[in-house]
Amino acid sequence: MSFMDTLRTRWQEYRKPGYYDEFDYAWTMTIDLDRCTGCGACVTACQAENNIPLVGETELARGREMQWIRIERYWEGEYPNVKLNFIPMLCQHCDAAPCETVCPVSATYHNQDGLNAQVYNRCIGTRSCAVYCPYEVRYFNYYDHEWPSPLDQQLNPDVSVREKGVMEKCTFCIQRIRQAKDTAKDDGRRRVLDGEVQPACVQTCATEAMVFGDRNDPQSQVSQSMNDPRAYHVLEEVNTAPSVVYLKKVEANVST
Amino acid sequence: MSISIVPSLKVLKPAAIVVGVAFLGLILGYWANAALTTGNAPSFAPGYAPQQPIDFSHKIHAGDNQIDCLYCHTQASKSTSAGVPSVAKCAGCHQQVATDRPQIRRVMEYWENQEPIPWIKVHDLPDFVYFPHKRHVAAGVACQTCHGPVETMDVISRQAPSQMGLCLNCHKEHQVEFGTDCLTCHQ
Repeated sequence: MSFMDTLRTRWQEYRKPGYYDEFDYAWTMTIDLDRCTGCGACVTACQAENNIPLVGETELARGREMQWIRIERYWEGEYPNVKLNFIPMLCQHCDAAPCETVCPVSATYHNQDGLNAQVYNRCIGTRSCAVYCPYEVRYFNYYDHEWPSPLDQQLNPDVSVREKGVMEKCTFCIQRIRQAKDTAKDDGRRRVLDGEVQPACVQTCATEAMVFGDRNDPQSQVSQSMNDPRAYHVLEEVNTAPSVVYLKKVEANVST
Repeated sequence: MSISIVPSLKVLKPAAIVVGVAFLGLILGYWANAALTTGNAPSFAPGYAPQQPIDFSHKIHAGDNQIDCLYCHTQASKSTSAGVPSVAKCAGCHQQVATDRPQIRRVMEYWENQEPIPWIKVHDLPDFVYFPHKRHVAAGVACQTCHGPVETMDVISRQAPSQMGLCLNCHKEHQVEFGTDCLTCHQ
């Protein structure tokens, strides 16, 4: 069977949410919004871990920001009865990702770990994926970004520096997942243990609002966290079956 | 009333030619850009054999004297990178062995000045490729599979074409688990 035939016959199967349950891992993150203080440490950690360039003021004003994870702020009410809500927004690694269907060169696709992969050297920069992404978490390299000395010394050697004309986004720190798998293989284990992989944002979260793990394993911390009655997906109505689960902020009925 | 298509052809035909030429130019430009900037980069092409600071011969060490690759490239079994041995490793033997040769004297000069030898990297992979030496060594892949018959080379030269086919064919042949998934090698 040729590649195209396989694709055609198995397309529906690929598009079915939860298809990857039968696969190796299903990497999932839960974010407890009750615990999130909006400090932005995850943003900084991500920036440092994944060689994300600082675009500067002018580019930011043009909407060409680069942040694989960002803290979205939502104000509620009028001063002085004002409330501020935070939602850390990162690539949701949707099981039925709209971005994957539109890539003309399959630079973005779903792999057996339930990750929404982005292959930089394959990307031709059509930016269709960014248009289709309902979460607006894909970022485009409009320039070859530079790290003025001595900042170039802090680049992470495990992550490639993306060049001009390439789309990029959160990878769930694929380099760390890979390293954990390597360690597991060295120890003669088939599977990575729960808690062995932590993306930079999860590792740095001061209030431990984020939990990362494999939801195929019912005993894992993330599976138990997902069973919380507060759990929900962002933009659930668009049916993208995201891998990032948010735990709703509980409203305290305090009258001021 | 019938509308003649002749006037519109007069406009459309040159327009089509212009668009066609522009499209061809785009393709040619893209190809030329790709070919000039990445495809023919010297360090990625097979046969690349730069002049090294020391005329080090792998033939004498690995071939004639049967020194194991991992004796010098110790990191290959432990790390992503195979690593280049430190000058201390060279000095470890050459404080005793063949001390009268001119090239060895030059090595010992580096050792006495406590300076690293500025070796030129021959086998280089693009940044977006993740190639862990340790996984391949652990799987029993011979170094010569990618690096060629190093033990017969006086001057080291690049052997493997740095193309994905080499990796993929081997991964397919040995049925590596998820060996053809993009994220196995790309980062």
